Amino acid sequence: MFQFDTLSLVFVALIILGAIPNLFYSGGYLPHIERKTHYLLHYFTFIFSMLGVVVSANALVFLFFWEIMSLSSWQLILTEPKEKSTINAARFYFLMTHFGFVFLLLFFLIVTNGDLEISFAQMKTVAAAFTYPTMLFFFLILGFLSKAGAVPVHVWLPYAHPAAPSPVSALMSGVMLKVAIYGMFRFLFDVLYPWPLQWGTFILIIGSITALTGILYALAERDIKALLANSSIENIGIILIAFGMGMIFDTLGLTLLSTFSFIAAIFHVFNHMGFKSLLFMGAGSILHQTHTKDLEKFGGLIKSMPVTAFTFLFAAMSITALPPTNGFLSEWMIFQSLLSSSTIAHAMTLKLALPFALFALAMTGGLAIATFVKAYGITFLGLHRSTNAKHAKEVNFLMQSGMILMALFVASLMLFAPQYLHFFDALMVSLGKTSVYAQIFPNGSLQMHSLGVNGGVVSPLILFAALVGVTSLLLFAYKAFNVKTRVHRSWACGYKTSAKTQYTATGFSGVMRRFFNWLYKPEEHTSKQNLAGHETKFSDASYEVKIKPLFEVFIYDNIKRWVNITSYWVYRLAHFEQTRYPAMIFNLMLFILYSYRIFTHEIDWQSILIEMALMLMSLKILVIGEKR
Amino acid sequence: MILYFVTIILLVLIAPMLLSYIKATKMMLLFKRPISIFQGYRDFSKLMHKETIISEETSAITTYAPFLVLSPLLIVMFFLPPVVHGSYYVSFVDAFTITGLISLSTFFLMLLGLDSASAFGGMGSSREAFISALVEPAMVLTIFSVSLMAGDLGVGQAGVNLAQHFPEEHMASFLFAGISFFILLMAENGRIPVDNPETHLELTMVHEAMILDLTGVYLAIIETASSIKFVIFASLFASLFMPFGLEFSAPIAFLIFIAKLFFIATLVALLEVNTAKLRLFKIPNLLGLAIVFAFLSLITFYVLGA
Repeated sequence: MFQFDTLSLVFVALIILGAIPNLFYSGGYLPHIERKTHYLLHYFTFIFSMLGVVVSANALVFLFFWEIMSLSSWQLILTEPKEKSTINAARFYFLMTHFGFVFLLLFFLIVTNGDLEISFAQMKTVAAAFTYPTMLFFFLILGFLSKAGAVPVHVWLPYAHPAAPSPVSALMSGVMLKVAIYGMFRFLFDVLYPWPLQWGTFILIIGSITALTGILYALAERDIKALLANSSIENIGIILIAFGMGMIFDTLGLTLLSTFSFIAAIFHVFNHMGFKSLLFMGAGSILHQTHTKDLEKFGGLIKSMPVTAFTFLFAAMSITALPPTNGFLSEWMIFQSLLSSSTIAHAMTLKLALPFALFALAMTGGLAIATFVKAYGITFLGLHRSTNAKHAKEVNFLMQSGMILMALFVASLMLFAPQYLHFFDALMVSLGKTSVYAQIFPNGSLQMHSLGVNGGVVSPLILFAALVGVTSLLLFAYKAFNVKTRVHRSWACGYKTSAKTQYTATGFSGVMRRFFNWLYKPEEHTSKQNLAGHETKFSDASYEVKIKPLFEVFIYDNIKRWVNITSYWVYRLAHFEQTRYPAMIFNLMLFILYSYRIFTHEIDWQSILIEMALMLMSLKILVIGEKR
Repeated sequence: MILYFVTIILLVLIAPMLLSYIKATKMMLLFKRPISIFQGYRDFSKLMHKETIISEETSAITTYAPFLVLSPLLIVMFFLPPVVHGSYYVSFVDAFTITGLISLSTFFLMLLGLDSASAFGGMGSSREAFISALVEPAMVLTIFSVSLMAGDLGVGQAGVNLAQHFPEEHMASFLFAGISFFILLMAENGRIPVDNPETHLELTMVHEAMILDLTGVYLAIIETASSIKFVIFASLFASLFMPFGLEFSAPIAFLIFIAKLFFIATLVALLEVNTAKLRLFKIPNLLGLAIVFAFLSLITFYVLGA
């Protein structure tokens, strides 16, 4: 029923490491929550169900815990159902998570031959005998990626994560998304092992698009938690890029590079868990103090909330992959694995296409810097933009200790990267790969080598020491120089600065919004009150811009429209009709039976044609009938 | 080892002179009386003697950020390819670490801009974020292409390899990469088509807007940082795209290297005099050009092997 192999244990460690600081934080956050029993019940159920998912040894247990995980997180989003948007977000989440669940169920029904209690190893033999492995692959990734939040099934994420209470957002974004990545590791390795080249390429493309889309929407966002949720989408994309590279290298027989890429993926999984949880906790502390999620209402919080500000800064540096942080190390590994594509001998088209993934990843990195400068600068620096921000104080001790613990975890990922990588290497060995730890660290743990031919080298500890050393030398020189300092108001070209004259979050991303106009398609509203007929003098002016989420508008709204139209048609045909209603059910059953036959046996075009003709006839005769 | 440290110190010392030289050349070309090429040092010493005024709106970021802007760039100086044959060099550090360190410096510069609570700072940060987001992909692709030709991802080693064996068979992709890198050099250092370092007009400011509220030692630090950044880019260009002159004895090789730096500075000055500052929303076109050249370079390398 349960199993504790290395893969499970790595993810158990991930969940526990994510949950412990969260427990502290949650303890501090609890007085803020009205329905405490409801919250605590679902909170612990959520954590235990995630643990259950990663240690389950057969499909039934896996699906059971998976569903419990979805349901408890759904209830957690509904902890404070005061606003209508929260209820809508929860409903959307419920729908999307079950959309994924259906595909998982289909996957498991096929690979288990109906007996859900067989082990993963037995599933592999069934899957190997199955005729359409690519269909299984698509069921699998639709199931898991709709949970992980990859394009185009990511749309629920920017709604659901901000709506949940902050500790839960941290858990959902930091840990629950990674449980979906666990599913990919588990079932792609254990069940669907020999991968065609196209699968890896597909994951790589999805990853690149996801990373770019996520960060572009994060950049334009002005709700701090939605910004972080969008950035989670980006990081899932980065993980998928590494995962896809691993699959591609494995197919091409470059086993060492493949292991390197998978290690990079799992390192980024850990990193993202650390800094994203920390960022969500920071955002939660700000929300707790200012009672708003709007970036435009913050400002100057570094003075009143120093602990939050500095942990947030650390996490922001890490998520934007600035050296020498752990985020930089994992992104460095992913870059190196992309660059190693020059060693691919045969597939010239692939070799030519991979620089585009490199481009996407580099672009993502650049935009991530812009995003987090905005998130950090507008929130913590400058002057208070609202009275709420002015009266903010540092959060209580428990919440602080949660953030500090998580920051320590992130720091440990930075300082003890070799040890963590050793752990991940053991994981890859347990999945049947060769160990590459000795190749990554050939001369002691100071220098990290890439596995590509003439690959790069980085030494996290030396970089860290050098940065700390040079900066403190400069600071020391400055102190020794004994400079006179005077405090005065900002010069700003002689204008008086006030909270209103500062740059806003909307203004900060304005340049980018204009450049990516084709993607954002912003709806702008301006209104101004002229003063006594003067065109240029205003008593009051407001500017509002709303970004349309492209995927939601184009894919989901259209699907919604067509489902509505079809269901209305069906309703008109069959409602309160004695013959048509059963006829419709009959047709549906025919459809399901035929599809099942096609899924499980070879495609036989003649019988498909005969069956289609039969179905069309019965549809015409029984359902549509004669024209009135 | 001594040669290594001497080179770094000399390069840091020469940094303000290069920027003054660009300015002087530009003034001469515009029939103005040029400033002395030692103006940079005079400004530096003047700023060092001034008192530092910290605005009351700022936080701890302003106190520490100037040092964090300078220190990553100083560290990059240690990772540059060797100037002189036989000198020690850090062979293993690859280009991502270097671009990462430069990003780290820019990150704190942008925070510095937002910290003073003035509209100018925010404006500068926003524009800098926009430009550096677009520079990043072109930079990575160019470096990838050069490292393919040099046969090593480590920047120091790549410089040595190119000097020892110039890739004549890959001249086309080498040239494309060179063009792309030169555009990046102009963009990252805020030279004219992208940013005008000499005006304080709000329409054109990028770098200057972020540091508008700094004075005294802090301003001196930031100015030093920007001159060092120019030296980093110029010497990367000199070592990777003009890989000759290393084989001479130490003083001559060093002089040749300095001559190369001044040549690049002259090139920058000529380009600055002959082009107009681009509108902010036209900058993506220029950087897009850099990206296209980087792709061209890669594709030429792969497909034609040229």
